[in-house]
Amino acid sequence: MGKILMKGNEAIAESAVRAGGLLYFGYPITPQSEIAEYLAHRMPEVGGVFLQIESEVAVANVLYGAAGAGARVWTSSSSPGISLMMEGVSYIAASELPCVIVNIVRCGPGLGGILPSQGDYFQAVKGGGHGDYRCLVLAPSSVQEAVDLMPLAFDRADRYRNPVMVIGDGMIGQMMEPVEFKEQKFPPLPPKDWATTGCKGRKPNVVNSLYLDPVVEEQLNFKLAAKYEQMRKNEVRFEEYRTDRELDCLLVAYGTTARVCKTAIQRLDEEKICAGLLRPITLFPFPEDKIYELAQRSKVVLTVEMSTGQMVEDVRLAVGRTKPVYFFGRAGGMVPSPEEVIEVVRKYVEGGGR
Amino acid sequence: MARKAKVTIDKNRCKGCELCVNFCPKQVLAMSKEINDKGYFYAQVVNQEACIVCRFCGLMCPDTAIEIAVEEPEKTEVGTNG
Repeated sequence: MGKILMKGNEAIAESAVRAGGLLYFGYPITPQSEIAEYLAHRMPEVGGVFLQIESEVAVANVLYGAAGAGARVWTSSSSPGISLMMEGVSYIAASELPCVIVNIVRCGPGLGGILPSQGDYFQAVKGGGHGDYRCLVLAPSSVQEAVDLMPLAFDRADRYRNPVMVIGDGMIGQMMEPVEFKEQKFPPLPPKDWATTGCKGRKPNVVNSLYLDPVVEEQLNFKLAAKYEQMRKNEVRFEEYRTDRELDCLLVAYGTTARVCKTAIQRLDEEKICAGLLRPITLFPFPEDKIYELAQRSKVVLTVEMSTGQMVEDVRLAVGRTKPVYFFGRAGGMVPSPEEVIEVVRKYVEGGGR
Repeated sequence: MARKAKVTIDKNRCKGCELCVNFCPKQVLAMSKEINDKGYFYAQVVNQEACIVCRFCGLMCPDTAIEIAVEEPEKTEVGTNG
């Protein structure tokens, strides 16, 4: 199949359908409503289910129930809606159920605005809901990559029996780009023998997250922790751009801002300032080893985000005190321009990294 | 006589990407101060007279929100030599 021009939200929806995500529950919110709009007409064509639920709180609990019954389920929302889902997502993680959650981030806090932002980093990678759990978090930086990551999201959700979050922003969701739907092959998944599919002829399966016995609860916590450790070992994904040289400045950025940084790097070349980019594709697990390694080859490290500084904390944890780590961010729906990034890089590089 | 066109923007299709405003060579278009049904500041026609019918705005718009109706100029007699 050749390339077609699609809006990010619609492309994400189509990719999910092709990946077998045939049960979608959601509630409309800009800037991701096109996902629901698209699925409202697409799901009946493929024998799937599109259901608008009365609220995001309820959506998370419908996901909980349907995932518990063994279905491949997903939802999408934007920041305030995702906040409402968080209680349910915590239950889903505790009950070890698979589901995919797409967050097309808008600016906040509060009701915020509908323009692009990366202010939900903390919520996505540090849990979001209560309790000791993690989501696997994928952050595409183009419509094509969003399309490519959706099948992976569903596969990993099933494989780890854990919620997977795909985090874009208003720009990824609203932008139109050429995309190609490539078929992806994954190793066979284990059977869902834990699902509540009717217990005729077998012992009942129970989906639960209440453990009053501290010994049992601790066992669950340790089991989940071991799972997240497996993710750290096997699931770290990132892209390197122009890092094959000694660097004046290592840029760390994900999603939309990574694209801005690439343009800045090309223009900085003309000024003989060597900059390179490390773009995390997984925000959890975080490519901390790679960032540390690249930082050692660079004079300074600069994190660029559409927030007032969230991922930069993880970059600082990765780099430690070995190199100076700086931050540049725009917020409130403002997207940094390459010129702004260039100016900041110049300032820190010419400042001798101090 | 230069051709004229009437540029119409369906404001509720617009997501405020500003491509049309940036690509218009004659500043025919500008962003609104008000929001549309979706909540975006939308592009609007502010100087219809300056339009040179280059159609860049319509070509750039990813959401096909812009209609450009070209008004054909009145035919003028062309003189012939014999």
